[in-house]
Amino acid sequence: MASLAQMFRKLLQRPGSLDLTPFERVVAKAGERAEGIAALDELPTPAMDDLAEFCAIAREAADRTLGLRPYDVQLVGTLALLAGHVAEMATGEGKTLSGAMAAAGYALQGKRVHVISVNDYLARRDAEWMGPLYTALGVSVGWIGQGSTREERREAYAKNVTYGSVSEIGFDVLRDRMVTSAADQIVPEPNVALIDEADSVLVDEARVPLVLAGAADPGTSVPSMAALVRQLVRGYHYEIDEQGRNVFLTALGTDAVEETLGETLGEGVNLYDTPDKVTEVNLALHAHALLTRDIDYIVRDGRVQLINPSRGRVALLQRWPDGLQAAVEAKEALPASETGEILDSITIQGLITRYPEKCGMTGTAVAVGEQLTEFYDLQVAAIQPNKPCVRVDEPDVLYATVTDRDMALAHKIVEVHATGRPILIGTLDVAESERLALTLRGRGIDCVVLNAKNDAEEASIIAKAGERGAITVSTQMAGRGTDIRLGEDVAELGGLYVIGSGRHTSTRLDDQLRGRAGRQGDPGGSVFYVSLEDELITRFAPDERPPAADKDGVVRHRRGDHIVGHAQRVAEGANLEIHRNTWRYTRLLEHQRSLVLEHRDKILHGDSAADALAEARPERWAELLESVGEDVLREAARQIVLFHLDAGWTRHMAFLTEVREGIHLRVLGRMNPLDEFHREAVAGYQRLLAEVEESSVEAFETAPVTADGLDLAAADIKRPTATWTYMVQENPFGTALERILKRVAGKDRD
Amino acid sequence: MLTAITRAFRTPDLRKKLLFTLGIIALFRLGSVLPTPGVHAENVRRCLEQAQAGDAGNIYGMVQLFSGGALLKLSVFALGIMPYITASIILQLLVVVIPRLEALKKEGQAGTSKITQYTRYLTIGLAVLQSTAFVALARSGQLFQGCSEPVLLNDDVFTVVTMVITMTAGTAVIMWLGELITDRGVGNGMSILIFTQVIAVFPSELMNIFRRNAFTFAIVMVVGIFMIAAVVFVEQAQRRIPVQYAKRMVGRRMYGGTSTYIPLKVNQAGIIPVIFASSLLYLPQLVTTLFATQTQQNVVIQWISQHLVTGDTPVYMATFFVLIIFFTYFYVSITFNPPEVADNMKKYGGFIPGIRPGRPTAEYLNYVLTRLTAPGALYLGLISMVPIVALAVAGASQNFPFGGTSILIMVGVGLDTVKQIESQLQQRNYEGFLK
Repeated sequence: MASLAQMFRKLLQRPGSLDLTPFERVVAKAGERAEGIAALDELPTPAMDDLAEFCAIAREAADRTLGLRPYDVQLVGTLALLAGHVAEMATGEGKTLSGAMAAAGYALQGKRVHVISVNDYLARRDAEWMGPLYTALGVSVGWIGQGSTREERREAYAKNVTYGSVSEIGFDVLRDRMVTSAADQIVPEPNVALIDEADSVLVDEARVPLVLAGAADPGTSVPSMAALVRQLVRGYHYEIDEQGRNVFLTALGTDAVEETLGETLGEGVNLYDTPDKVTEVNLALHAHALLTRDIDYIVRDGRVQLINPSRGRVALLQRWPDGLQAAVEAKEALPASETGEILDSITIQGLITRYPEKCGMTGTAVAVGEQLTEFYDLQVAAIQPNKPCVRVDEPDVLYATVTDRDMALAHKIVEVHATGRPILIGTLDVAESERLALTLRGRGIDCVVLNAKNDAEEASIIAKAGERGAITVSTQMAGRGTDIRLGEDVAELGGLYVIGSGRHTSTRLDDQLRGRAGRQGDPGGSVFYVSLEDELITRFAPDERPPAADKDGVVRHRRGDHIVGHAQRVAEGANLEIHRNTWRYTRLLEHQRSLVLEHRDKILHGDSAADALAEARPERWAELLESVGEDVLREAARQIVLFHLDAGWTRHMAFLTEVREGIHLRVLGRMNPLDEFHREAVAGYQRLLAEVEESSVEAFETAPVTADGLDLAAADIKRPTATWTYMVQENPFGTALERILKRVAGKDRD
Repeated sequence: MLTAITRAFRTPDLRKKLLFTLGIIALFRLGSVLPTPGVHAENVRRCLEQAQAGDAGNIYGMVQLFSGGALLKLSVFALGIMPYITASIILQLLVVVIPRLEALKKEGQAGTSKITQYTRYLTIGLAVLQSTAFVALARSGQLFQGCSEPVLLNDDVFTVVTMVITMTAGTAVIMWLGELITDRGVGNGMSILIFTQVIAVFPSELMNIFRRNAFTFAIVMVVGIFMIAAVVFVEQAQRRIPVQYAKRMVGRRMYGGTSTYIPLKVNQAGIIPVIFASSLLYLPQLVTTLFATQTQQNVVIQWISQHLVTGDTPVYMATFFVLIIFFTYFYVSITFNPPEVADNMKKYGGFIPGIRPGRPTAEYLNYVLTRLTAPGALYLGLISMVPIVALAVAGASQNFPFGGTSILIMVGVGLDTVKQIESQLQQRNYEGFLK
């Protein structure tokens, strides 16, 4: 960070930056100490000089256009961003302004900047809010959102600085990879990525690849299967695993299914001789046992619509993959809609590493510093707060049971509310926030519930959460990116009081919640009410023996805190493992994809398709050339090869998903699953290329080409309709030695 | 295999990795022949020659094999990799026994690296113990039985302490070298180092045989090469049990079942049974040594020393063979738990076509496994018998260099490493596939 401090010193010496008197002394001292290396100071790189000047100008511009005068620490943040770091800046320190100045700085260097944020609302708000600053600096700015049309997107991407959510930008990149005409591509060559809420985007969301799916054939729903599984009984015919993620038939269940199937397929049928039937049963059972109407999905206008569990909102564009949607439709006795097919996918890593220069900002970066370095080669720069934080973080209060915790929590809220101090309660999920609100209303206290259903509206509500007597119940993502300013006289009452109803799966998320209080040196407090029955503990530390609770239900033994911390560390470790596996298994796939895309680009922008087909089938080429002319024929050749290339890639991805599902079994033969996966992937890739060539040539022989061009109705590029995720468990069995020891110690029951 | 390596040398970053690995190996070998300060190198050499002429060199068998002859040379790397291997095994055992460590392990990477750190400390501890015992043995002149020359230059405390510190430091360096190979070279560092030590003795032993009798040398070479070929063949043999995952409906499912399978190796147990069996057979030797001083020899002891101490008796051979068969079955039954595998498959929607998930699947797996283990066990037994039988037939007291254990280690590590190089090559050499 030495160089940043140096830059900052330069900045202070600039005329035009006002009111630097308090810093003059510090700088003078720093200058004294630095005399030894003064010789080096004589040779500043031009860029540094420019940066200092730029900061001075940007500060002035912000003051004049937005009425916001950036604090010195905000300028240090800007410099950190311009140096390509992830800046850790606490809530309320003004990340948005720092980011905007940095984006403008990059833009003035002649680079195109994408400011990547977590949701559409923030992208739009920040772009519009910071607009005047950009204009004053001579930088053009645009934004994209879910509702933007293709033309609006093209326009936004043409600007110097473009704001957009990570999924929108990711989908545009994916869609660009499927276009059939060069003029349809809209995302320009990537230059600089500036990532807002960097830990959320780069770490939390990176576990899930962005998936582009297109509607393929109508789904095959099997109503008889739905009727069949409806008669099965849980615990007798089928069982559900502890995490509620998988459902499977018992022997009795199989008997029952085989009996019913026997009516149509003949007596004594073996279900497991007919893989298709097994798939149908499994899907129907999944839809029946694991998905609940009005919790996981709703039925509206004769359609099944998904509910996003973490945000509690209907996810319009999402559908379940691989036949599950049809199974749910069969369950609800609805006609089957189109089934999705994965056309392409990209991981957040794949998306972000496209940018030669990247930087980011967030309130909690240090905790994930190692991961940022490992996966993105980014360094963290911790920026001091403008005023020191005086928030009081109380130790956790731990209860043995959820009931005791909820009662104590409600009691605490009533107690604090009586003083008029504003309270923000962070809950872990939507259901819990609703439950808590109900309890409070039962006690005659009114509160506002936010569960990330409407980003824009919630931002304006949460901005008021600091007023006297306010009680706000919110889920993790609600109102992110908005400051909570304290109302009048609230500071005397102790400022905003943040209560967490349970620890999150990482300390980082806990810190995000705490950070809502104590902005800009405001007073504030935070406390977590934890119970040993919380999902975090039952799921990640099920084997720990909890200490006994005191009479009032509170666990005061040291081991209690240890268990909570342990569960959190296990959860963090598990998430890191998922992240790393996603990356390791998709890296090769993305490499293959980039080679295919290179090839595709050549076809799209050139005539390589036509040349290849002309060489493969010269007679047919000559024949068509005579009837339709060269231009039409070249375009037709391009469309044929593109179609088969895309179809081939889709098949290849489906193949790899299939391979990955069972690759962990290779461990049993003392093989490395990752190496084995690569072996299969490389062989599959070579098959893919041969197939594409073969089917293209075949299509060229038979496809009807008229003067109007090629009639290839099937080559329509479908709109993306779904995002979903899958997880890889690499080795559920453990190493040979671990297995031996487990058996010897008699611990292989679980 | 050779083409893979030459191709690897033509790929810049793989070449760098290969050269790095070779460099580490060279360093490792250097340390293995470099005498520890305080050792009378000339006397040690003379004693070694004497020991090789007799049977005494056999005493440290497995340890000597893994240290590539460094142990008796009292070199800087005398202790080899054994302390580290022992420490890892102990730590893994402790993880199962001590809840605190088990909890740590569950915390993922951070916890695992803490356990690795403990393993390193334990390795150092073990190294101190072993080197102290070893140096004490050398100091008292008991290292080479029947060799009267002093192997240490002088036996004051300073020399002894220097030697202990040097050998302990040597072990720490070996540990580091192994990790360097794993991180920045090719293959698994520990395996590569063991591999190096196992084959390090080949040239000199072959040379010895050649000097004595060119004809025997030719026979040894032919038998050796034949054995390597046989081991390579069997090591790669596997029975693939097809598995289908039926949770997703995919449009044109044409590839189902070909690439998802449980690979059951013919030699599912690897080298462990042989190591167990030979370790167990050192016990009789130990017993006779312990009771050797007694004037009145017990009948049992007498019988043991007649039949179970040297490899050329039928009783020894039969016992060795039976032990290997037993340990193979034992090891396979412990490492491969059919109900657990069947359970895992059932949970995630996998099944073997035609067979119900759950217990029927477990029974089927067990059925196949039991039948597959029979040839596997026989193969391990036979391969391990070859050198012993050869010894008995040829009547030569000379060590047969292509011992069963050596060849199994050599081929095992060799195959794994080449496979890894191949897979890295595949990931890099895409050019040329697409025009």
